Amino acid sequence: MTAPRFRSAFTAQLNVRAASLLVPRRDRAAWVAEWLGEIHHLCHFPEEDDAPDSIEFSFGAFPDAFWIRCDLLRSHQFARLQSGSAARCLLILVSMAFAAVLLGLALPGARSALLPLRNRSSADLVVISSSGYAGTESPSIRLSDYEEWTGNARALFSRIAFYRRAIKGVYLAHHPAAQLVVAQASPDLLEVLNLPVSGAPAAEGHRPRLILSRNAWRAFYRGDPGIVGHTADIDGRPVLIAGLLPDNAWRLPGKVDAVLLEDAPSLAALPSTTRGFVIARIRSSAFPPPRGRWRTMFETRDGITRHFDCFTLCQLQGQPYLVFLFSLLLASLALPATTALPLGDYPRRRGRLPAMLNARRWLFLAAKFALVVLSVGLCSADLAYGFHANDPATALYIQLGVAFPALLFSFRWMLQDQRRRCPECLRLLSNPARVGQASCNFLSWNGTELFCSRGHGFLHIPELPTSWFSTQRWLCLDSSWLCLFPENCSASPEMV
Amino acid sequence: MAADAKLSHTAAMILQAIHAGHIYGFSVMQMTGLPSGTVYPAMRRLERDSLIVSKWEQQSIADREQRPPRKYYRLTRTGRATLEAAWERYPLLARMIPSGEAEAEAERV
Repeated sequence: MTAPRFRSAFTAQLNVRAASLLVPRRDRAAWVAEWLGEIHHLCHFPEEDDAPDSIEFSFGAFPDAFWIRCDLLRSHQFARLQSGSAARCLLILVSMAFAAVLLGLALPGARSALLPLRNRSSADLVVISSSGYAGTESPSIRLSDYEEWTGNARALFSRIAFYRRAIKGVYLAHHPAAQLVVAQASPDLLEVLNLPVSGAPAAEGHRPRLILSRNAWRAFYRGDPGIVGHTADIDGRPVLIAGLLPDNAWRLPGKVDAVLLEDAPSLAALPSTTRGFVIARIRSSAFPPPRGRWRTMFETRDGITRHFDCFTLCQLQGQPYLVFLFSLLLASLALPATTALPLGDYPRRRGRLPAMLNARRWLFLAAKFALVVLSVGLCSADLAYGFHANDPATALYIQLGVAFPALLFSFRWMLQDQRRRCPECLRLLSNPARVGQASCNFLSWNGTELFCSRGHGFLHIPELPTSWFSTQRWLCLDSSWLCLFPENCSASPEMV
Repeated sequence: MAADAKLSHTAAMILQAIHAGHIYGFSVMQMTGLPSGTVYPAMRRLERDSLIVSKWEQQSIADREQRPPRKYYRLTRTGRATLEAAWERYPLLARMIPSGEAEAEAERV
């Protein structure tokens, strides 16, 4: 061989070896041998003058390696999404969570329960409840107490408002009579809540103002834009339809179709024992802003001290989350009663980065846990608040009733699924086989064996846990067994 | 792959070249005019689909001639049937790469 041809051959060999670094390791030797065989043939048996030289041929090894890698990637991606693969499992869970998010956004009640409060100034709003009442869902404050606080509690509250719910017949010309749940409120309720009202005209005389919710406006008045400014009749009194409340703006206890803003004399005409809800805005200079629930006391004119509970509006809005966390706690406590918690005995395997494999297995479990919790949380809130938004108390019970069993069974499935997966490739194990006999259990074992279709190992599950074989055990197989597993060969179609 | 499966023109050319007796990767490249980055991965895919089989030359032959062994390719029965089906789709294929031209080389191996 001449010197230039020798140099060409040497350079071509270097190129081929560089290109081989792009080839998957297990196929590298075969590819290098094939390329070198061809290069040797080109250098020593140049049959035609127009044949490419060895260097030109060797540069073709780079696109070869690139396409080999692409083919392998495609086949692996396909294998990842095959039945039983971890990617497929996560894809299904992500799809479920995504569907739950879409459902929540589609149902107005669920959307308002799940989304944070629109009004930032609601942080210092509190709902006051009489001590001894379990929550704020029942009207517990007497009108006389409210009237007393408007004068006495100015040091604590900057503004204070009262409302009570009642079903009223609303009569409007050219529209059928409607039975609406009306919040009969003090005149400054909307200012206390800082709620914007669309189409509100200026106060006209002494007529009470009626603010319709958009849902009621659509349901009872077919979305007629001309009714604002008209006069309706409630209990024989003329009231001015002053505007519309934005969607999902009303987040106080008790769903209402309309708010009737009474003037002070009309409100005072109600019996003093009338019970309702009191909303107050805390005076920021009174004390550090409280969080959650707190208790306060007021002294009446008669000198009697009474205790009241104050709930911040933010805390009330967080009730769905609190109920779900409670369900999560209950399900976690009940889980050991339904299935065993240990995931099995997985010995470490030499030379295969056991820490990485172990971490991947736990990450997969954590991802399943997060997706299951997210899906169940959203689905339970969708079911509870999407269809029972008008009754928050019932919605809370529905959410608890849905979330607890769903979480319990999901966690149970999650652990069982994790136990049936290969710790290396995270695919579901297959081909279960019964081994041994129950009558020969002494110094032996009987149970079920499953294997990884890629030949990573066997899983032994004892039928009867014994002191020497109490939990399922994973047996690793070394690479010499791989040829026995056809799926392992099909996963690498480039192997020769 | 079924015998009546549709082949791309490139794959059909490679099958025709192997059928014509160009049994090494480099000779397939020369005969078809396709570059290296196309021919070798395509041959691996044809092999995966059982249309061709590869085999390493006997080490003793390579040792005798003091060179590295080469890898050669042959059509399988399925590959032959697929190629015959491809002739109907690509009638000029057999004229572009006539059979028998390199059969002597194949017989030498």
